[in-house]
Amino acid sequence: MSAQEYAFTVLAVVGGLSAIAVVTARNVVHAALYLVVTLLSVGGVYLLLGAEFVAWVQILIYVGAIVILFLFGLMLTKAPIGRDTLDNQQRWLGALVGVGVFAGLVFLIQEAFPVQDAERFETFHATTDAVGESIFRNYVLPFEAVSFLLLAALIGAIVLARKDDAS
Amino acid sequence: MDWVGWAILVVRVAIVFFGLLISVMLYIWMERKVIADMQTRVGPLRAGPRGVLITLADGIKLFFKEGITPTAADHPVYAVAPILAMFPGFLAFCVIPFGTSVTLFGREIPFQLADLNIGILWILAMTSLSVYGVVLAGWSSGSNYPLLGAVRSSAQMISYEVGMGLALVAVLMYSGTLRMSELIAAQDTVWNVIPQFPAFVVFLIGAIAETNRPPFDLAEAESELVAGFHTEYSGIKFAMFYLGEYVSTVTVAAVAVTLFLGGWRGWWPFDGAVAWIGPLLWFVLKITAVIYVLILVRATLPRMRYDRLMNFGWKVLIPFGLVWVMITGVVVVLPQEYGNRGRYIAGAVIVGAAALATLVAPLFSHRPASEAEPGGQPEGREVRA
Amino acid sequence: MLTEYLPIVAMAVLAVAFGVASLVVSRMFRPHRPNPVKLSPYECGNDPVRLPRGERFSVKFYVVAMLFIIFDIEIIFLFPWAVRFRQLGLFGLVEMAFFIGLVFVAYIYVWRAGGLDWATSVEAPADADLASDSPRDPMAAADEELAAAMHDAEVAGAR
Repeated sequence: MSAQEYAFTVLAVVGGLSAIAVVTARNVVHAALYLVVTLLSVGGVYLLLGAEFVAWVQILIYVGAIVILFLFGLMLTKAPIGRDTLDNQQRWLGALVGVGVFAGLVFLIQEAFPVQDAERFETFHATTDAVGESIFRNYVLPFEAVSFLLLAALIGAIVLARKDDAS
Repeated sequence: MDWVGWAILVVRVAIVFFGLLISVMLYIWMERKVIADMQTRVGPLRAGPRGVLITLADGIKLFFKEGITPTAADHPVYAVAPILAMFPGFLAFCVIPFGTSVTLFGREIPFQLADLNIGILWILAMTSLSVYGVVLAGWSSGSNYPLLGAVRSSAQMISYEVGMGLALVAVLMYSGTLRMSELIAAQDTVWNVIPQFPAFVVFLIGAIAETNRPPFDLAEAESELVAGFHTEYSGIKFAMFYLGEYVSTVTVAAVAVTLFLGGWRGWWPFDGAVAWIGPLLWFVLKITAVIYVLILVRATLPRMRYDRLMNFGWKVLIPFGLVWVMITGVVVVLPQEYGNRGRYIAGAVIVGAAALATLVAPLFSHRPASEAEPGGQPEGREVRA
Repeated sequence: MLTEYLPIVAMAVLAVAFGVASLVVSRMFRPHRPNPVKLSPYECGNDPVRLPRGERFSVKFYVVAMLFIIFDIEIIFLFPWAVRFRQLGLFGLVEMAFFIGLVFVAYIYVWRAGGLDWATSVEAPADADLASDSPRDPMAAADEELAAAMHDAEVAGAR
């Protein structure tokens, strides 16, 4: 195996195990921390694929912002932080759905990007420059649509957060 | 890579790591001495000549102190938090070029650990990770003051991270590269601080808030929160938070020097085998100057009130950063598209936008009617918490 | 490209090793004399009234985190644009002005809705409010928590 394959194996194992730990952890903050490990290893996989910009964006946005929002959310609600446990009786159903989704994704990805012609996909190097050129020349409309999405998300957050003093 | 390459790699990393530790030791001493001077005290005096070893003495003392883990603490997270607090600073420093290069054993060794393609993004990513040390320390302590301090200061850090990111974008637009070595090359004739002075100010304010230094040290507002997120920490774990804070300070100063003050560029009469000493000295000198400014700010300004801090971050720094990014864009693109005439168009666009902003500004001057006070006086209200 | 990251990996390993080593070595040399009072949560020398479990923080923090994500994403889009905007020219500038403008609309909305005001909220104090919002009787809860903490402390002390 090459060094990259070793690195991928390590990242996949660590990411997979901590993903399992996310759903089995009995403390919600610990679950969020395991999620950080999973997201970091996903970033590492992007890096191995040569998508340097995407890798660090993954870490900046998901680890640096979204999990922080989760932590704030946990502190905001009355979810038990501390050593209390949080669980319901839906474990088996949850496991079943998880396995189903996993199988579906594996099938879809194998259909779309078969392992046999993996060589075909190795050429593209997603440098910041290439990403910029691609977004701002070829995908202008989706890019502008993102700003509408952000607008909607922000207004949604405010509507959720504000007191209903007007009505 | 052969074994010499590996050995050089390890030695380079070790030199940077311990160099950072030593510089932290000296800068803490400098900070205490300068502040003592400003308050007509003598400051550290006993350990070493003029007290220069005071930080080392403090470190040794803390090393042998009893480490208390409160019963309500979440043990693994409580132990990991100090390590998380100190390592983003070290990692962010990896992309900083602190000199030119030196030729040893027939190999050219650059004075920079990693010249990443995405240098500026790397710094922003590491900054965003530094929130974790604070949040986890506060949460895992299982105590009221740390939790309050952690939530407060993490909100502060993420708020000012946006302003800092906008300043970085402005520099990036001006220089057109994310790579640190090219950034320094781009400051060949004129340092970025001159054309990008507003971005420099935004960056410096954001950096002070990110590193939780006064006047933004709300994380440890001792008058209300005891010591903030590290109230429950003692001994070596506390020392690590302290170390992390100062490593971040040195790193942030190094980033400011690299992005705005020309990095290691300077004037030096020597050449040949010792040519590498000059840039290194310039780099150290500039960092010391930036840190001196940070110390002056600390010694001069009182701590900000929390509501003012957040208001300033969100209502002043971020809109200003956005506007500056757009101004930079207009000023660079229009002359490029339309030649000399573009300069006038750019000026007209900026003046027009400013006029529009003046017209729109009154919309923000008052609050919604339900919350307005009878006197209609928007400022000067007291905080309740 | 990946070899560029070797020094960074080495630095990460060194920093973590330094941290772990100093924790472990310090543990060997320092005294260890816990007692229940020493190990109880800090409350200015008083008995802790209650421990932070299941507390609620002001919703403002959530709004700030949400705003932060939005602006973070905006900055991320600015990065590839800033690298490329000289080549994209006027078209790219107008494109980005439109994008920033729309996010700015959202920002103005939040401002007008009072999401950025920290001192003026009427019911909830600006900062996290630990004392209110609890359906339990505070004093009974305090006794209960304190008993639990003291029990924990005794267990730890005996260890």
